[in-house]
Formats: sequence, C-alpha cells, structure tokens
Amino acid sequence: MDNDIAIKTENLTKAYRSFWRRKKILALDKLNVDIKKGEIFGLLGPNGSGKTTTLKLLLGLIFPTEGRALVLGKTTNDVAVKNRIGFLPEESCFYRFLNADEILDFYGQLFKISRKERKARIDRLVEQVGLGFARKRPLRQYSKGMLRRIGIAQALINDPDLIILDEPTSGLDPIGTRETKDIIVSLKERGKTVLLCSHLLSDVQDICDRVAILDKGKLQISGTIDELLSSKDVVEMLIRNLSDEAISEVETFIKEKHGEVISVKNSSGTLEGLFLKIYAANINNSKTDV
Amino acid sequence: MQQILIIAKQTFKEAVRNKILFVFIILGLITICCSVFMPVVGDGSEKIRIVESMCFRSITFFGTLAAILLSASSIPTDIENRVLCTITTKPVQRTNIIFGKIIGFMYIIGVLLIVMGGAGYALIKFTALKQSTQGSSELLAREKFDPYTLQVTGESARKIGNVSWIEGGGKGTSVWKFKGLHSKNRKDDLEIEADFLVESKKRSTRKIPINIKAVNPYTLKTLTESIEVSRNKPGLLKLGGEFLEGSEELTIVVSLENPGDFIGISSDSLRVFFGNKSFEYNFLKGLTIISSQFLLMVIIAVLGSTFLSLPVNILFCLFIFFCGNITDFMRDLSTVINVFETHEHGHGISTVLKKTNVFVVFLDYVIRKPLFLLSYILPDLKNFSVGKYFVDGINIPYKTVFMSFGYAVLYAFFCLPISFVVFKRREIA
Repeated sequence: MDNDIAIKTENLTKAYRSFWRRKKILALDKLNVDIKKGEIFGLLGPNGSGKTTTLKLLLGLIFPTEGRALVLGKTTNDVAVKNRIGFLPEESCFYRFLNADEILDFYGQLFKISRKERKARIDRLVEQVGLGFARKRPLRQYSKGMLRRIGIAQALINDPDLIILDEPTSGLDPIGTRETKDIIVSLKERGKTVLLCSHLLSDVQDICDRVAILDKGKLQISGTIDELLSSKDVVEMLIRNLSDEAISEVETFIKEKHGEVISVKNSSGTLEGLFLKIYAANINNSKTDV
Repeated sequence: MQQILIIAKQTFKEAVRNKILFVFIILGLITICCSVFMPVVGDGSEKIRIVESMCFRSITFFGTLAAILLSASSIPTDIENRVLCTITTKPVQRTNIIFGKIIGFMYIIGVLLIVMGGAGYALIKFTALKQSTQGSSELLAREKFDPYTLQVTGESARKIGNVSWIEGGGKGTSVWKFKGLHSKNRKDDLEIEADFLVESKKRSTRKIPINIKAVNPYTLKTLTESIEVSRNKPGLLKLGGEFLEGSEELTIVVSLENPGDFIGISSDSLRVFFGNKSFEYNFLKGLTIISSQFLLMVIIAVLGSTFLSLPVNILFCLFIFFCGNITDFMRDLSTVINVFETHEHGHGISTVLKKTNVFVVFLDYVIRKPLFLLSYILPDLKNFSVGKYFVDGINIPYKTVFMSFGYAVLYAFFCLPISFVVFKRREIA
C-alpha cells in the first residue's frame, strides 16, 4: 500500500440479507476509493446511499461481504490501528449518566493515555468545543448540539492521525458549525487526515479537498472540488465599485470577443455569513460595554 | 487488563448512578426484614431457622434477579443506544468488553451480597439474641457425617431404584458405619437423625417404632434406643459425645420392631451430627456458594446478550433459572412419561411396567429424551442451594463450597469462549 494513502478500499461490498436470508439488500457495491494522508475527504450522498455503511466498514463495526478496506495500512479488524483513529458517530450516543469530563476521561483511559496527559487534553478539548461552562453537567442534560460537541471532543481525545466524522455539523448552530469546520481545517493543517460524510453540501464544499458521491451503494463520481465543479468555458469575476455604464461597456467588449454574458447581478453573501457577522458584532458590543 | 477494569468500573458506575443497585438492595432488605414477622410454629430455634432461611432465599432471589436483569440487558442496551458503537471504535478487544462487563456485574453483585449479607447476619444474630432471652437457642452449624458403608441385610431386604426396603419383626436390618467423627469439644452431643421412607400394612399406622443400636467399635460400648419415625418427621436420638471416647468411628444398626412395618433406606436416611462449627464461617460459606450461582447466571446472561435482543435474552435467562431449579423434576418427568402401569408387589411396594405404543414412543422422543438431555445441559442450580443447610443447622462442607464454585467455573469455561466468538463476529450497527 502506498505510504501516502490513509484509506484504501478495494471492491468493498456490503450486502444485508433479510431475516429468512432470501432478499439481499446491497448497501455498498464494489467501492474503490483512495484517501490520501493529510486531506479532507467528503463522502456525499442521499439517505441510504451507503455513506455510514462505508464508515462502519472502515471502523470494523460491520464486516464486508466482499472486498477489503485498509486503514492506515492495516485491515479493519486490527485493533491496534484504532489507536490512531478518532470517530464521531452519526448520533452522539454516550453514557448519559456521566459528565463531559468523565466521558472524555473514560475514552482517554481506553486509549491508555496517562492521567496527567488525559487531564491536559480534556481541559483543552472541552474549551475547544465550547463546553467549558457545562463540563460537570451530566450528558443527559445536554442539548443535541452540546452532545455533538462532546462527540467531536471524544473523537479527538487520542490526538488521532485519521479522524472519521459522520455528519459532524448535524444539530449544531451556525457558530458551532463554523467552529467545527475550523477545527476540521486546523486538523488538516496539523497533517491529519479527515474523512467526513455530510448532507450539508455547503459544509463539504467549504472544507473538503476531495469528495466522492455515492448513490444506492455505488460510487457515482469522485475528485477534487475544483475538478468536479469548475466549468472551463465559464469565467466568474467579482468586481467592486463598477458603475452601470462600465458594466455595459464590459458586456459590449465581451460580445465583441464572441463571449456570452450569462448573468450580471450584485454579489450576495450566505445566511451563515450574515449570522456570523451579527454574532461577531454582538460580541464586540458586549466587550465594549464591559 | 487495564481496559477490562475500566469497563468494569464503568459498568458499576452505571448501576450506581442509574440507582438500579439501590432498588435491588432496598427490596432485598425489606424482604429480609419481613422474615422477622413470619409466623412460626415451634420453639425459638425454629424462628432462627426461618430467619436464616429467609435471609438466604432473599439474597439468592434478589441477587439472581439483579444478575439476570443487569447482565442480560447491558450489552443489548449499549448496542441499542449505540454506546458500544463508539467504544468498539477505540482500541479495545471485544473480549475485553465482555470480561469487563462480567467483572463489573460481579462488583455490583458483590456490593449487593455484602449489604444484604451484613443485614441478614445482623438480623439472625438479633433474632438469636432475642430468642435466647426467652429460652436457649443457638446458631447451629452442626458437622454432618455421611456413612462410608451401608449394608442392608435380611430376608425382607429388597432394593427398588435407589431405595432399599426392610421389614420389621427381625426380617431385616441395616448397618451403617461412620468414621472420622471428631470434635474439638467432646461434650458436644452426638445426634442421630433418622429420616426413612415409611410404609405399613396397618394403614392406620402413622408412626413406626424403630430400634437404633449404636456401637463404639473401639470400646465396644453399646447403646440401644427405640424411637418413632413417621412420614414427615424424622426421629432424633441424642447421645453424649463421651460415647465416642477413644474412637472416631461409630456403627449403627437399625431394625424395626413390628412385622408388617417397612422402612425405605437411602444413603441419606440416617444422618449423624457431631460437633458445632462456627456459624459465622458457615454464613460466609453460604454467601460464597450463592455468589457462585450469581457468577454462573451472569455468564449465561452475558452469553445470551451477545446474540439475543434484550427481551428475548431476559426470557432466556429466566427460563434457564427456572429450569435450573427443576432439573430433578425434569428427570423425574422423563421417567413418569414412560410409566403407564405399575405392578403391586405387596407391602406397598410397586414396580414400573412400560407400555410401548405409538403414543409412548412419541412422548419418548418429543418430550422425555429432550427433557432428559436438557436437564444435564442446563446448570443444576440446586448445587447452589444453601437454605437447606441453614434450615437444618448443618455446617456446609468446604468440599461443597469448592464444588459449587468449580461448577460455576466449569460453565464459564464453556460459555465464555462461545460468547467471545459470537460477540467478535457480531455486527454493531
């Protein structure tokens, strides 16, 4: 296996059979994907397309019907390789009677991290995911978003080389989403590999280097965001402070050069951008008041 | 090992934080305390026996219930709640998860055992103290001795199944030989308890007089007494401990006075007690045997939880628990099914005749043989029954403690590898 490859699947197939073993449901069909080390890879697809099945196969939670997967050069049933993997499941399900510190400590102990190191990591991660104010509260009192945040923290407790995230921003508010995306990008900057699957295409587009789209268990397409989305015959320019006259002149010039103007409109931001702008302004105001 | 202990600790913490442990403890304590109010016919010692028996039955019942419910539900609930989905993505062997869970359950049950056992012991002591103010009553742990030879002789001697029958009027005797009878205190009574099956041609006769002749083979000192035995009440003969002076052996000859009276003899019909052991040790031995049963039930419940859903697993465990307590009945039933006719031999003794027709063959294959087989595959939970020792005030032999623990370990030896293999292959989706 190439040393630069973090995850490699070869004809990875998973079929479920009905109770009487008659009907066969193909959840994943001969998936061949290579994920390079240090990249953020997005797995996209509608419900039931096989995204979560792929993640479970990679983690050894379920077993392939055919084919194989190599994670960090090891097969999925190799327990030792899990020392280098962090996983955030689709639903953040933890022992609800524990608080944030205790649950992170529990997972930290499973990785055999020393007590001192565990404490340092827990302190850092709890603050990083913004749960410092609720760290002693039992998880049963947490909201869905807070559980998601603690889920992200537990996925990072072992400082993994490969982080597998299933719907990391699901249930998070825009700030939480932004912060999570920032964490993912910072992980990449630290040389970590991130595999995530998400329904939120804008999130994937924002942070992923490469994506693969699955449908009905089959790989439809894969590649870098630019490769998949860029149209070589269409050019986009963002121009500030251009008068209507100047716009007409540009259009005329383009026509002279045999180009076609598809649309001319004012640039608009995203709702997420607007929300974050307001949130940042409020924080600044409250700081000024203090 | 570290991971096993972490999971065990977590399992224990879960039971404490979810207050399940306290529910079992409170219910158990209430039941133990209720034993004080049980109406008793008999003297003070009877009252103590009832409290002792109730105490052990409560601990066994609630401990087993806790063992079944906690261990049968833990893994299926963790899979259902997807907690296990996260844990198994950590570098933890699945076998460690199972070991950790089992140790965690044993922690829980250990606490249950300590609290309930402590309360039970205090209550027994309190009852004994209260009874002693009203008359003499002590906590018994009498040393029981089994015969090393038993001979049934005479013209009337006849063996049916495991029971040998003799008739009175000099037509039969049984000779019992005991050895190793020693006690630190020679002043202890030597007690002989005769619990025979009783038949008589005189239908109105309920009590049969029997002669018991005790012989010290070393000094040749002899003592003959006549006592009455009946169907439900054993006869009791007390000799002073000095009777055994110079010897640790005893020979007892049993015969009946009247012709037409019959007694059925098995190896346990005549019990000899000599010396009283420490009740506290006996109590601890009782708790050890019970904890072996808990271990066994935990292992079976964990085995079930590796492949069954929660409700099915609880039913499975309750089925094992129920059948485990009636294995003798299952074996008896398998015999009864074969019985269609009996032939009276006279003097109340009958033998069984098989009737072979299609129906019997059908019952034989569909019920008798499977039941017979099942009764040997399923754990025989009577091996862990300690109530009888305390009801009779008998010291539990160390051999019984080791045997019951060994029995649980033997089942663990078979069940655990199956659990590991099944759980390793289980998909945690």
